[in-house]
Amino acid sequence: MRPQTRFRTSLLITATLLLIISLLSLSVKRSPILEKVEGVVVSLAAPGLQGLHYLGSAISGIWEGYFNLVGVQRENAALKRRLDEYAQKEVRYQEAQQTLARLESLLDLKKEVALPVVGAHVIAYDPTLWSRCALLDQGQDQGVRRGQPVLTAQGIVGRIVEVYPHYSKVMLIVDRSSNADAMVQRTRVRGILQGKGGNRCSLGYVPKSADVQNGDLVLASGLGGVFPKGQVFGKVTGANKKTPGVFQEIEVTPVVDLSALEEVVVVKVVNLAASP
Amino acid sequence: MTIPVLLFSLVGMGLFYSQNLLLFPQVRLHLLGLFLFYVGLRPSFPLAFSLALVLGLLQDSFAATPFGLHLGASLLLVGMARFCRRRLLLQKTGPLIIASVAALTLQETGILLILMIQGFQPFILSGLTSFQGLEILATAALAPLMAALVVGLENILRRHGWRAERSGE
Repeated sequence: MRPQTRFRTSLLITATLLLIISLLSLSVKRSPILEKVEGVVVSLAAPGLQGLHYLGSAISGIWEGYFNLVGVQRENAALKRRLDEYAQKEVRYQEAQQTLARLESLLDLKKEVALPVVGAHVIAYDPTLWSRCALLDQGQDQGVRRGQPVLTAQGIVGRIVEVYPHYSKVMLIVDRSSNADAMVQRTRVRGILQGKGGNRCSLGYVPKSADVQNGDLVLASGLGGVFPKGQVFGKVTGANKKTPGVFQEIEVTPVVDLSALEEVVVVKVVNLAASP
Repeated sequence: MTIPVLLFSLVGMGLFYSQNLLLFPQVRLHLLGLFLFYVGLRPSFPLAFSLALVLGLLQDSFAATPFGLHLGASLLLVGMARFCRRRLLLQKTGPLIIASVAALTLQETGILLILMIQGFQPFILSGLTSFQGLEILATAALAPLMAALVVGLENILRRHGWRAERSGE
């Protein structure tokens, strides 16, 4: 290798390393410049994804709706939707019953229902293994702000972490950076729900003395001010007390299929604790 | 140089779209990584470097991980490809597949390491799973197809008068 080429290669490697380190440092500090760069890239790439997504949905809709079991598919979808609604109603009913039993007269479900929301379509996912997030087709122009919770009829999806003019990024509750205050519906035991990547979460900081069983529902406690109280995060699918330390290991599986999201709602309140 | 970068970026974007719309969440093939590795093995270094920037930015913009993570990983992959090109003189399919596996594994380890340093990942070993290893192997099995795709794209460009620049080697 000629000395000139060797010098150029070393310079290139140094410059690249500096660039990466600077970008990572700026990212940790949440630099507005990086957000703008991200916004531009998303705005350039997302319309293609959105178009293909709609095209794919339209083609599969035509195929399934007209050529394959006309009517049955629609009826099945309607029944599934009703079943989901009833499941959600059942959860709310149990929740309301327990609340009444403890004479918590301050709980106002109407307020929860009356929160302003905006509907959104999920148009893309992060296909890599290292983060779990999705891109929504509603952004700053539609009133979406960072920190707002995202829900479906079945339960909680995540919260908005980045907002662009026409798009927004939602960090799913299973992302490793996701943390939320949660409680077990049956015993009111509180803990911190942490994303574990893949399709699972864990409920941390729950003492071994607490009664938590498989199948228990894990709800938002409302204390973090991000997620509406009583909304469902998931179900306990594993509780292990044979671990070192004072806390038990609780695995929670989200009730929402976070890999097959279609329509979601964004609650247009950033801090629920501070909202009237 | 603009047209080759645009063409390769469009193909990369197509792979990203297909990964997002067709394969996710059942299959997580590292198609972009493999594509980048094979572009890195070709003579033009500026093309591979530019493509790593474009695809790294694209992946970073759609992820919730720190910005620059995928960019760094893409550049690492190009670095690996240049090393393999210069030192190992890869020609046959078998060694190419082995080199792809090594490069993709190194890329994943690099990502894990950065995430661990930044506190997103508790331990390096907890992130490496056998499932992930299988994904890398399955991706590397597509190496001949990807090599053919890259050579095919180069041939299209050559027919229109493009000559690969070798600066930076």
